[in-house]
Amino acid sequence: MAWWTRPLIRLLVALAIPLAIPALITAILWTLPGDPAEIICPREICDGTDALAERWNLHRGPVWFYVHWLTSALGGDFDSSWRVQQGVPVAELLWESLPTTATLVLLALGVLLLGAVLAALGWLPRALDPLWQAVGLAPAVILALYCAARIEISHGALSHSGWPATLRLLMGAGVLGLADGALAAAITGTRATFEAEARLRYVQMARLRGESVLVNTLPNVLPALVGQLRARVLHILSGTVVVEVVMGIPGLGEMLFDGTLSQDFGLVLAAAWAFSLMSAALLLLQALVEVSVALWVRRSPAGISGVLQGEPGPAVPGPGEAV
Amino acid sequence: MRRALRWFWLTLAVVLLVGLLAASAAAPEFLSVPRPDRAFLGPLAAPPFGNDNRGIPLLEIALQGADIVAIPSLISGLVVMGLATAAGLVRCSGATWLDGAIQGASELVGALPRLVVILVVALLLPRDWRVLLPIGITWAILAAPGAMDEAAATAGRLGGERFVEALRAHGFSSARIYLYHIVGLNLRPVIVRQGAEVTMQVVFLEIALSYLSLRRNEPSLTHPDSSYSWATLLYQGYTGLLGYEMLHALWLGLALVAWIALLAQSIRLAARAR
Repeated sequence: MAWWTRPLIRLLVALAIPLAIPALITAILWTLPGDPAEIICPREICDGTDALAERWNLHRGPVWFYVHWLTSALGGDFDSSWRVQQGVPVAELLWESLPTTATLVLLALGVLLLGAVLAALGWLPRALDPLWQAVGLAPAVILALYCAARIEISHGALSHSGWPATLRLLMGAGVLGLADGALAAAITGTRATFEAEARLRYVQMARLRGESVLVNTLPNVLPALVGQLRARVLHILSGTVVVEVVMGIPGLGEMLFDGTLSQDFGLVLAAAWAFSLMSAALLLLQALVEVSVALWVRRSPAGISGVLQGEPGPAVPGPGEAV
Repeated sequence: MRRALRWFWLTLAVVLLVGLLAASAAAPEFLSVPRPDRAFLGPLAAPPFGNDNRGIPLLEIALQGADIVAIPSLISGLVVMGLATAAGLVRCSGATWLDGAIQGASELVGALPRLVVILVVALLLPRDWRVLLPIGITWAILAAPGAMDEAAATAGRLGGERFVEALRAHGFSSARIYLYHIVGLNLRPVIVRQGAEVTMQVVFLEIALSYLSLRRNEPSLTHPDSSYSWATLLYQGYTGLLGYEMLHALWLGLALVAWIALLAQSIRLAARAR
């Protein structure tokens, strides 16, 4: 497989995801038995299904609905919320909740990055691995429940503003970082990647020359690390729904869940699309890192250029082995 | 020593699994009539686990919770195992176009935040279909790319197509090579571990979704209103943390979570490579 194949696949998938998510939802909607308008809003809880179908462009078939929704979404128009906050534009709700979720995800990512960096530098003893794994066995809902109780016991009814709200965010990030094996996977995954690379011959030769192992291995393991990082961010994004609802953090995940419970189809579709854009951005980032590293390795970086010219071949990986 | 340990984990896994299935089979269709005079009683006053805030025995809720999760979670685990096995076998069969197609599809499916997709599926499912099985299977399909990738990588490390050719040269039949040598001896630890993990994740997913619905005082996305999930125990136990006499429900809920975690761990350890 050529070095550019994987980044190209990622690029194509990144372009496809924002188109695929609404397409998939449209397909499911029309595949399920019954009228799509009644599936979105069943007659027992909705009246005026026909008017709803017309307003949502459901009456002219799946292709019309899909094209119309996507065109509006690309223009930033997601219509208004039906139930969660009736009449409020969905775009406004998305913009309000996005910063909170972004902060939560970044803080949680900080926990994982710290673990990964310490593991890469060899500063985290291997003996502690069972501890991370044991903590990671706890599901997010349990840890979030405990943290929510701690905050409500210590701050009571005033715990949704000021410092207690910040504390909710910090503890939520801690939960996302620790629960469901996230930190354990970050530590063991990073360490295993570096160890596997360090066993290769070119690293052993570099070590004999007195060069840093980290400097030699990092370019080659970077794409794999970024791939792991993408998986972790997706894991965190998924977990935000649970953590935000249990801990009362007003973010995108909480909005998505409320929309699901109250059958607010427009809100759910928009929130799911926002999540798909984030996922696409992560894929693009991974593709970019892969291409940059591949080009950098092929330009023979300064650290190993002398070896390329002065030493016999096997010590340095060829272009095909670069990643 | 390793053999003895393997037998220990295998026995434990079987005991825990049989326990889960037995609890599911013993679950009552409906809970007992509430008895407010026996509400909040602890395990000593109302054995074996005490009563909830309406005087209903927690044992009945625990059994109903087991009934909600047992079969759907096991089926979801089997779906992942099936898909991972297929990916491993495709890598060994030398069908490069199929291998490439699987990788492309895995990339697309693996790029989606799972809980977001689950919520969209839950929204679209008609109310009568809102049980754990479709949600669990969706989760299994979303978890499959990781499992398939790992199984395919394991098969690739064996040598892929060359491994099959080498065994053919020894005179083994295709069925024996694929089912025994590849799946039974080499892929087993990976696919069993992935299956056990997904089984555990689906149970935890049910608890999480039911707990979130309880917090919003809305019908659950995973079971009918007439039955009660293990999340009910955690929800009532949470009030114990806030001062009500319901801590025994929290301990029971946590014990059930630990049961499932231990089940997954014991299956994983029993299936470890020799």
